[in-house]
Amino acid sequence: MHGLIQPDPFMSKSPSSLPIEIKISTVVAISAILHSVDPIAIDAALKQMTGGVSDFFEDEFAVIDVGAIAAETTYIDWRALVDLLKKYRLNAVAVRGATPAMSEAIKARGLALDDGAGAERAREDVAAATAATAAVTIVPVQQPAPVPPVQPQQPVPAQTAALPAMIVDTPVRAGQRVYARGCDLIITAAVNNGAEIIADGSIHVYAPMHGRALAGASGNADSRIFGLSLQPELVSIAGVYRTFDDGFPAELARQPAQIRLVGDRIDISSLTSHR
Amino acid sequence: MARIIVVTSGKGGVGKTTSSASFSTGLALRGHKTAVLDFDVGLRNLDLIMGCERRVVYDLVNVVNGEATLNQALIKDKHCDNLFILPASQTRDKDALSEDGIERVLNELVKMDFEFIICDSPAGIEHGALMALTFADEALIVTNPEVSSVRDSDRILGIIQAKSRRAQTGGEPVKEHLLITRYSPKRVENDEMLSYQDVQEILRIPLIGIIPESESVLHASNQGNPAIHFKGTDVAEAYEDVVARFLGEERPLRFTNYEKPGLLQRIFGAK
Repeated sequence: MHGLIQPDPFMSKSPSSLPIEIKISTVVAISAILHSVDPIAIDAALKQMTGGVSDFFEDEFAVIDVGAIAAETTYIDWRALVDLLKKYRLNAVAVRGATPAMSEAIKARGLALDDGAGAERAREDVAAATAATAAVTIVPVQQPAPVPPVQPQQPVPAQTAALPAMIVDTPVRAGQRVYARGCDLIITAAVNNGAEIIADGSIHVYAPMHGRALAGASGNADSRIFGLSLQPELVSIAGVYRTFDDGFPAELARQPAQIRLVGDRIDISSLTSHR
Repeated sequence: MARIIVVTSGKGGVGKTTSSASFSTGLALRGHKTAVLDFDVGLRNLDLIMGCERRVVYDLVNVVNGEATLNQALIKDKHCDNLFILPASQTRDKDALSEDGIERVLNELVKMDFEFIICDSPAGIEHGALMALTFADEALIVTNPEVSSVRDSDRILGIIQAKSRRAQTGGEPVKEHLLITRYSPKRVENDEMLSYQDVQEILRIPLIGIIPESESVLHASNQGNPAIHFKGTDVAEAYEDVVARFLGEERPLRFTNYEKPGLLQRIFGAK
């Protein structure tokens, strides 16, 4: 008798066969903080920042933050702004810090409003939901590698809620770029000249480190760079960088040291001498 | 089981073709059926160094495009019965090599019972170089003891780790060997050249041999005979060591120490 009942394809219990599945995901986006609404000035600044490198931004998501100028600005040409960011391969998805007067125009352009409170509320909702029932699974989803590691086979940070450090056990060679998105980066093999290691958190290198090291890549000024033997070409923390044209300070080279941001200055200190 | 070995460097003029010629000859002299393929489409050199340029009828591109069979294109070496050369084309460009075509040619060589297939890569990191390394099981990284060559070797190692078929399919990684060429112990002594230890410290792959800088290499190339045939020269012995180490023998490193000329030598001006 049961054999006569036709299974309804739309009633399948398997979640993977549902036409849509809703999960909470964390998406990494960069903030484009505007201090001007003049498209020409913004264009010039972006051009200078990217130095003509067409893939400086790798089709990343961007939140346009107008909080700094919203009060004294009455009109923003959202279309021009979105197109301009697109030209630099930034995909505007939302606007943050907008005044209520702006919201119509923003929504009309298909952009979301991120008023901070919304994010806060979402976080509370998630907390409440997880506390109340285990039905909601929180799966932070990383974008599919918007900064394309030149090495596609490089390990990608594990996608768990806590985002543990990304660990690399093979030498990072000239032309290779490793990016630990949203976490610390630990490297147990040599980093060579011409390589680039980037982390949103701190960087630890347990072998000779040459090349370029950029910690706090999404703005965390508390990030640091630790190494057993440092001789980098360039270091950067939260966007503040220092090059070593005349060589890395000899008294700190090739020995355990850390690099951090003190005020707006890159500070290098030994990890052995003061202990 | 056939082994496919790419001879590559990134930088040009470091000795890839010289090394491919001597390495493949060395393997063949030890009785292994060996093929050596010139991937430098547009700038063929291997046939000159092997001294078979006048016997080239068909080339790698012809075989890849199905215009000739492998048997028609392979040239038997003038010295060794079990060494065959597949020259590059001088009239095509590098894009003529398709990945499918190369894979087919290599598979066919494997079926013909070749034990070693040596792929002589062009310089650079473009299409031709990628095609040469894509199917490699092992890689000879030819490096001169100077900074730009080492940097380029580092770069090509990264590319092998990313782009080779073994890397892409998650198989066992390509086995890498460091071959340092044009090494001059005297210039190392005078700090004009990186030492082999310096090079190894940067590249961090096992050293398979050191070929000393020598005029006999130029001499060999001009004559169209691989340098390994010039018995008694330090270069020939160094390449023989490389082949022996590659086949699993233990050989001590040679030609790495500078011996200051003695008084008599200085007086009578030995070279």
